[in-house]
Amino acid sequence: MQHPEMQADIVIVGAGPAGLACALRLAELYDRHNREHPDRPLQKENILVLEKGREPGAHLLSGAVMDPAAWRRLVPDFEQSQELAFTPVADDAVFALTARRAWPLPLTPPPLRNHDNFVISVNRLGQWLAARAEAAGVTIFPATAAVEPLWHRDQPQKMRGVRTGDKGLDRDGKQKSNFEPGYDLLAPVTVLAEGSRGSLTRQLLETLKLASVNPPLYSLGVKEIWELPAGRFPAGRVWHTLGWPLPPSQYGGGWIYGLPGNRVSIGLVTALEYADPRTDPHAYFQRFKTHPRVRALLQGGELRRYGAKTIPIGGWDSMPPLAGQGWMIAGDGAGLLNSQRLKGIHLALESGRLAAEAAYQAIALSEPRRLLEYAEAVRSGVIGRELYAVRNFHQGFERGLLAGLAHAGLQMLTRGRGLRRRYPAVAGHLRMRPLAEMPAAPPAPFQPDGKLTFDKLADLYYSGTRHEENQPPHLQVRDPGICTFRCSHEYGNPCQFFCPAAVYELIGEGGERRLQLHPSNCVHCKTCDFMDPYGIITWVPPEGGGGPNYEGM
Amino acid sequence: MKIVVCLKQVPAKDAPLRPLPDGSGIREDVGYEMNEPDAYALEEALRRKEAGGGEVVALTLGPERASQILREALAKGADRALHLVSPPEARLDAAATAAAIAAALQRDASSSGAAAGSAAGGFDLVLTGLQSDDMGFAQTGVLLAERLGLPHATIIMQIEPAGSGLRVKRELEGGFFQSLEMPLPAVLTIQSGIHKLRYATLLGIKQAKNKPLAKIPLEELGVDTPNCQRMLRLFVPQKTKKTIMLDGPAPEIAARLLEHLRAAHLLPGS
Repeated sequence: MQHPEMQADIVIVGAGPAGLACALRLAELYDRHNREHPDRPLQKENILVLEKGREPGAHLLSGAVMDPAAWRRLVPDFEQSQELAFTPVADDAVFALTARRAWPLPLTPPPLRNHDNFVISVNRLGQWLAARAEAAGVTIFPATAAVEPLWHRDQPQKMRGVRTGDKGLDRDGKQKSNFEPGYDLLAPVTVLAEGSRGSLTRQLLETLKLASVNPPLYSLGVKEIWELPAGRFPAGRVWHTLGWPLPPSQYGGGWIYGLPGNRVSIGLVTALEYADPRTDPHAYFQRFKTHPRVRALLQGGELRRYGAKTIPIGGWDSMPPLAGQGWMIAGDGAGLLNSQRLKGIHLALESGRLAAEAAYQAIALSEPRRLLEYAEAVRSGVIGRELYAVRNFHQGFERGLLAGLAHAGLQMLTRGRGLRRRYPAVAGHLRMRPLAEMPAAPPAPFQPDGKLTFDKLADLYYSGTRHEENQPPHLQVRDPGICTFRCSHEYGNPCQFFCPAAVYELIGEGGERRLQLHPSNCVHCKTCDFMDPYGIITWVPPEGGGGPNYEGM
Repeated sequence: MKIVVCLKQVPAKDAPLRPLPDGSGIREDVGYEMNEPDAYALEEALRRKEAGGGEVVALTLGPERASQILREALAKGADRALHLVSPPEARLDAAATAAAIAAALQRDASSSGAAAGSAAGGFDLVLTGLQSDDMGFAQTGVLLAERLGLPHATIIMQIEPAGSGLRVKRELEGGFFQSLEMPLPAVLTIQSGIHKLRYATLLGIKQAKNKPLAKIPLEELGVDTPNCQRMLRLFVPQKTKKTIMLDGPAPEIAARLLEHLRAAHLLPGS
């Protein structure tokens, strides 16, 4: 098939904090360049940003409490961004939960002290950055998914751009009457800023046979926004919880953040590295809301929004190589997240900014090798210093909460080292154990009441998720026979439990039992892409514009 | 052929809507998109132009955020766009909207040098969707025709040139259609689903940035048509009926059904 080609200076995949920070900073550098070198001007419209969501911000989801340092560096006229309604953190607390009680920790651990930080909506942040980047002259292509990296024929290690997804294919891959082929966007620099578990990032690492020292590790965050009776929970209040409903062996925790307008952001993070294949992070979150303390808070309130997204938690030793010939990786897609402080937006913004500096050198001076300086700038700069100091934090919790807290204390005394330079880690899907090794009685299925707690389909309505129905399935199961004949016996089809959007459903009885997929429910969290125990599910981007609409999330 | 297509930005179909506490409208914390029937009107306009040449002008009336659907229309192939910018708090009904659009079309004609007296401001065809997905009045197109002094036809399924005018197919109730011929210029309101909508190409999106998008503040049009409608209250319907499901063996269900019917005084003599 012929793909129309478009030449550009740079292709940035993903209009999130990392990608948009990169675009915005590069536009500034172009302006400076054009003032200093009017004889060889650079065109800002040749800075391309691709966004698979229907508009920038549509797929952005976070808690979120943001450390504003990187934001201030990127947007020095910080006051102008007040329209974003950043809420300064007023007070914070951490609670240890049992089924009935909530014990406030006498001291908020230093990493969770959030004074000088802001409660934000990362969706609004993305919308704002995108508008600013467009106003600066950057070209943003919304509803456009990048589907594969393109390589130079004679230099197979060198990226020459990306191909965008075809539009207007039917279920069987045949062209509909409004078919539009994907474009080949060709540029000397490609920045992959896809967010957690990016699909091009994954292809790139596989093609170039690159890997991080430790495998990448992920959590799944499940979030709702509630509107409460006035005065219930002040904007700027930040609560984190440990313990119930997660068992001691399960890494994760809850949050409640006060938003303006009598709203709260509430959610629960479950690390995707559990043994029991029946673990259901969405159900854990629903149970979390039934804690007496949380129930009392939400009483009389109403659900407004829902979403779920994976979070890279492996840290320093799970970072892949960050740059190579013609490419850089930024933000969550590069694993740049501080799992101790539960923050990644500032690192995404900073990495995007650094990627822009390197890209400018490569483009303006035609020195492609300058991209490698980006990797160095991340590893030895503020990002690297922050991540190296907490490199072993998460892995310290491999044997549960208590051991983890002990390791965390020890690491604090040894500047992040703990017992050794690098704590090893095991990929989440490899830690899942067969049903035969589990207690025979399955955990009682959670029964939502439809007021405080919801099933996945009820929640899904609040995510604004929509896909073109008649398109090729974007969840590719390599061998459905494994689902029916092996997984059902060995693991009991964990996909039906870990997916927070009810994409995977088992239908039929006995020998007729088979897996039914509902790809149009997908909220693009990517859990299935790495958590299925056989590694047979591949998440590929659906037709551009499909997916959730995380307005205000 | 010179075609203007009138588009409206409406809350996205999947947006969880919430009425304002005073019932004066919905809360604006939702995503917005092009009204679906209008998207088909745009598609029809672009196909007319591809078949016979001419110009497609996309027009909207709405707050600042509504420019987004004009950029989308430009990316899909419209030649230029007019945004009649209303203040955020303005709530125009169909009559006031039609009056403003009519004034804008006439003004556009005089500024682009067309015969100032011509009814539709020099346009051969005015297209819009048959109704909006949010208010659903299906009035603006018809009132606009009246304002412009043009013939109109509604719920259009198909358009073909016929002599110096058009032959159009209208959808009626119960699977019936009406075919009629009409002169140009005319106003047509378009039914959803009559074609497959095109996608904006990346080249189209890039080129759209350099196409003219004129913003005209509503007050500059000097239209003082007052709203004819006043919305009293917008609210979520109260539940008035309740379904009770009876499970169990048939004799038991029958007995319980009788109890319910008696309790509700629905049996003769009860």
